[in-house]
Amino acid sequence: MTGPEMQVDGGLYEARQKIYPREVDGRFQHLRTGAAWILLGIYYAIPWLRWGGRQAVLFDLPARQFHLFGLTLWPQDFYYLTWLLVIAALALFFVTALAGRLFCGYACPQTVWTETFLWMERFVEGSRSQQMKLARAPWSGEKALRKAAKQFLWITFSLWTGFTFVGYFTPIDELAGSVVRLGTGPWETFWVLFYGGATYLNAGYMREQVCKYMCPYARFQSAMFDRDTLIITYDETRGEPRGARKKGADHQAQGLGDCVDCTVCVQVCPTGIDIRKGLQYECIACAACIDACDEVMDKVGYPRGLIRYDTQSGLEGSAKRVVRPRTIIYATLLALLVAGFGYSITHRNLVGLDVLRDRNALYRERPDGSVENVYNVKILNKDANAHEFEITGSGLPGLRVDYAGPTVWVGPGQVQGVPVRIRIPEDALEGGADIQVSIQATDQPGLRATGKARFLAPTD
Amino acid sequence: MFGIQRNGYSGKLRWPRLGQDVAIVLWPSFLAASVATMICFAFLDPLLIGNDDYPPPAFSSRMTGYAVGFFFYWLVASLSSLLTLYLVRTAHPDLPEKDQAGDEDRGGG
Repeated sequence: MTGPEMQVDGGLYEARQKIYPREVDGRFQHLRTGAAWILLGIYYAIPWLRWGGRQAVLFDLPARQFHLFGLTLWPQDFYYLTWLLVIAALALFFVTALAGRLFCGYACPQTVWTETFLWMERFVEGSRSQQMKLARAPWSGEKALRKAAKQFLWITFSLWTGFTFVGYFTPIDELAGSVVRLGTGPWETFWVLFYGGATYLNAGYMREQVCKYMCPYARFQSAMFDRDTLIITYDETRGEPRGARKKGADHQAQGLGDCVDCTVCVQVCPTGIDIRKGLQYECIACAACIDACDEVMDKVGYPRGLIRYDTQSGLEGSAKRVVRPRTIIYATLLALLVAGFGYSITHRNLVGLDVLRDRNALYRERPDGSVENVYNVKILNKDANAHEFEITGSGLPGLRVDYAGPTVWVGPGQVQGVPVRIRIPEDALEGGADIQVSIQATDQPGLRATGKARFLAPTD
Repeated sequence: MFGIQRNGYSGKLRWPRLGQDVAIVLWPSFLAASVATMICFAFLDPLLIGNDDYPPPAFSSRMTGYAVGFFFYWLVASLSSLLTLYLVRTAHPDLPEKDQAGDEDRGGG
């Protein structure tokens, strides 16, 4: 705790100068707005979708079942989730190698929610200059009203976001009902507030600081970059030396480049950087500076693209290469993983079986001399349809299985426990041996499973 | 510095050290705790945690078990993050800190 590096400056977030990104219009901003609408639409709508009489997407934690449309995943299927995460990571690498930080600018939840909060801020407080004026102005009735209106919008939207989040884990129609009656359970209330609060802080206040200080992807994305990766660049050879000039003047005769040094590209930047200084890790590739610069170039009558999406080789005048070893390797790996995942999930075993010994007695000798062991057989039906199962046993001569049969009915996505008595003739076994217990659906030969159990007999 | 004072960004664009520290400790540990919670409870039903001989189980509901598990992991991972941060921050200044210096250059502000 000694030395200047441990000193604490200021409060948590107050000391940071707030960035007021200037509003910008253009083709890439239209794309970003469209992407935000689609992604937010998906997020807020999905919990309300129905499928086969229940919520289409429900990660039912209390029941330990994940429902994804027609698919039901159990804790035993956990590795599918891991597999999906690996696919998602690889897809991110692939896209990054091709087109740079496309994810950051268009799809990252941090960016999308920050944009949404910026829209609300602009709706209430007006344009960039109006916002800055309002921030400098002394407190007045109007200022208080505008700030309160903004907070109201932000908090309402955050709570709705938190509510939707919890709606992925608990049936959302029941949740909505309990919200209306003000009767949500303690954990539901807690997680709504937790996630809503995180949204409020992240999108309302922390904003670009999350990208700068908290995002690991921002730091390691350069490992996926090469000279053929699309980045947002300022064409230095064309732009420099920058400087103001009179309209219509021959700037080349004055020794000036195409950059008129209007600094609009800096004003629109949500992370507050100057793209003309080259590629910086703070750049989230939102392309706001491209749209802003294109607009200025149109106004002064220069060709567009002084700031543009380009590759390093493209800037140096070489041809763009999309197909290259890096992209081929990422694409191949990605295709293999997706194909394997698809095959595995469509061919997974839809029944499971657990054979538990009855704890009360090791074995029982019956009047006819046979030896009996009692088990609790748990049949797990992961299928979307109900099935009837037959239980059989093997592994010892003369083994017989007795249960309340002839078949056991198990509903879709349910576990059914069945007491099963297994008997062997007198003197067939001394001590213990492993036996197999199998289940077989009567209507579908493929639905079967086998479990191992220990059979105990007297040792005399 | 970017020399962008004339555009309205006269103050600092960076978080103060304390803000960075809080973020650096809490955020990675949050991610680690999320992964740990998922893996742990994929294999373990919280209702089965408890003393075998003396029911009831340790948690009254699964949701309580998940939440307690998550915050426990978050706490442990935060302690690890905190120690790591402390060791990095208090490292002898004569030691080469190439990466950090590079970030400072690019970070500006």
